[in-house]
Amino acid sequence: MQLNQRNNIIGALTAATCSLLGTPAIAQESPSTAEPWQFDTAILYYGESERVTAVEGVFSASKDFGNEHIFSGKITIDGLTGASATGAVAQPSAQTFTRPSGKGEYQIAAGETPLDDTFRDTRIQLNGQWTQPLWQDYRVSSGVHLSKEYDYLSMAVNANLARDFNQRNTTVSAGLSYAFDSIDPEGGRPVAFASMPLRSDYATDQAFDDAFDATRLSGSDDKNTLDLMLGLTQVINRRTIMQLNYGLSVVDGYMTDPFKMLSVVNPQGLTQDLLYENRPDSRTRHNVFWQTKYALDSGVADLSYRFTTDDWDIDSHTLDSRLRFNLTQDSYIQPHFRYYQQSAADFYRPYLMAAEGLPQFASADYRVGEMTAFTLGLKYGMLLDDGKELSFRIEYYQQNPKNPGFAEPGVLQDLDLYPSVKAVMAQVSYRF
Amino acid sequence: MSQTPDLPEIELSWQGDHYCGRFSAMASPCELLIDSNDRKLAEHLTTLAFYEAKRIEHKYSRYLTGNTCHRINHSAGKGAALDEETYKLLCFADSCFSLSDGLFDITSGVLRRAWKFDGSDRLPAPQQVKSLLPLIGWQKIEFDANRILMPEGFELDFGGIGKEYAVDAVAKKCAELVPHCSMLVNFGGDIQVTRARRNKQCWHIGIENPDSDGRANRLLRIAHGGLATSGDARRFLYKDGVRYSHILNPKTGYPVSHAPRSVTVASEHCVQAGILATLALLQGKNAESFLTQQGVTHWIYR
Repeated sequence: MQLNQRNNIIGALTAATCSLLGTPAIAQESPSTAEPWQFDTAILYYGESERVTAVEGVFSASKDFGNEHIFSGKITIDGLTGASATGAVAQPSAQTFTRPSGKGEYQIAAGETPLDDTFRDTRIQLNGQWTQPLWQDYRVSSGVHLSKEYDYLSMAVNANLARDFNQRNTTVSAGLSYAFDSIDPEGGRPVAFASMPLRSDYATDQAFDDAFDATRLSGSDDKNTLDLMLGLTQVINRRTIMQLNYGLSVVDGYMTDPFKMLSVVNPQGLTQDLLYENRPDSRTRHNVFWQTKYALDSGVADLSYRFTTDDWDIDSHTLDSRLRFNLTQDSYIQPHFRYYQQSAADFYRPYLMAAEGLPQFASADYRVGEMTAFTLGLKYGMLLDDGKELSFRIEYYQQNPKNPGFAEPGVLQDLDLYPSVKAVMAQVSYRF
Repeated sequence: MSQTPDLPEIELSWQGDHYCGRFSAMASPCELLIDSNDRKLAEHLTTLAFYEAKRIEHKYSRYLTGNTCHRINHSAGKGAALDEETYKLLCFADSCFSLSDGLFDITSGVLRRAWKFDGSDRLPAPQQVKSLLPLIGWQKIEFDANRILMPEGFELDFGGIGKEYAVDAVAKKCAELVPHCSMLVNFGGDIQVTRARRNKQCWHIGIENPDSDGRANRLLRIAHGGLATSGDARRFLYKDGVRYSHILNPKTGYPVSHAPRSVTVASEHCVQAGILATLALLQGKNAESFLTQQGVTHWIYR
């Protein structure tokens, strides 16, 4: 039969269709359903008051090669500068710290939260993802991720299998990803709970250098992360789509932050010593994510909630809501509100007491402490011709660390040990 | 909330984020979804769609007398004049005939005289089928831009492409009027979207699940392009344990064996999707591999 000899008749059929309908002949040249490349570009500014400033550029490209064979790739470049909290507590007098590299010192004024101002890095991230139908009702997706900064390398691979049921109204998916991270900080990784040497305590530069080197481990360390994700997406009706995900994350390896320390204080609250932190080398985390999108008369409401719990005792709740409101056919505004709350890790200590022995693990990093945070934002988007879109986003972010119940000895009662972090984000995106 | 516009045959309703205009044509429920909150515009577009659908139905329906289809079918031996639209439709049917090596043939409608797919076991007598075969054969028809000449006893049946063509024609007319507004034309499950919706939303549309007896509707998401379904799960004959599909091979006069009950194809244009779905049915047990070779998204119900 001729049909089987001429396996692909669609080109000729497209030509016949175009002359029947009097549509332009361009369709004859691209008879498949392939779409042109689509590009997304964005530049983001993130500035914390008196702390980190980041500028991030994103360039992503995706193409549908027809029949849902989709490639997407993304390049992200971040530049970070500024100061970040070291974990040491503020004191009524000025404090001196040795820089993480061991070369030089910095001073923190009385009453100020100690910040390390040598924070400076450039990070490049590359992502590539391929998605395609596997056979009737199945889709498979697989990707790679590479992230490189001066002292940090991260590589990851992922795979996901999704199956549509119920005439594509229900999608069930399962995914697996594995990441390998390697860290080699400048000046080496500190020995757990080693005391920070200060130049003023040593007679010569050589004696100080030897003492500093004794607090350091040579070479790099690494960590392995395995993530498992199960997802369910359900179309509820013409207007509503709901998603429920469960994720399990198992991390094994070096999770200590080599730039963080703890103050050891006496009963008067005065710092006696500064120790480098030490975190467990394994972490198992579960998370549940629920999202509902609802098409309104003139926009989209998007509400999501995430709960995470892990064996470090950090439980977190995230509530995120976006309401897209179409101003006209070609423009919209989208207010954004996010609320976040987490409990402290079981090894979180805002400081250590000199009279007590060392715990097995301890960190004063506010990011593993108790906190609440919220984001308030507004996005304005303009839809241009041919699916192009220009959008502007501005957001205010505030993190409020809290005391999870530690008694504050002596002078610490009069100092702000849990300062809020306030940040502003501004983003311009263009899709073409 | 539904209000009756000026034209009694059409019904317009606001669906939360778009207007939906409904009417009945070509023995099917027809709807036009309009991505706009302009009621006047929606009413105008639905009226336009209604008149265009009715125009095509009146011109090519084989159940009417005095129309183009009737005039051609009663011109045997003498020849009939062709207008430009009909000429283009015949050219399209001609391409489909040669691309399918004669399996898609708009002269094969005469086989309906022998086959009644009413779910019964009444197969026609072999002699009756055989007597109709000489009245089939597109290659025996001569036509040019102005005239068509058909042998005695021949008939054309636009049923295999008429509804899909009407969907595309309506979509084209509406898009010419409001090129920046997304619209979805749906005539009984044959669908065309004029352009992508605002805000990257998909059109959501319920179509009758051809696999069931109409109890469940399936919800479909469509962003652009066309979609058409061929086949009818309820039209068949059943005798001695054999299910005879209503898809007839014009060369033998008999149903194609192992034909799927229905095939749905997504493609750039509705009429193209419709032909691909019909050609897939004609492939019988090879329907899947045929559509996979064409590289089109498809759903097959067996």
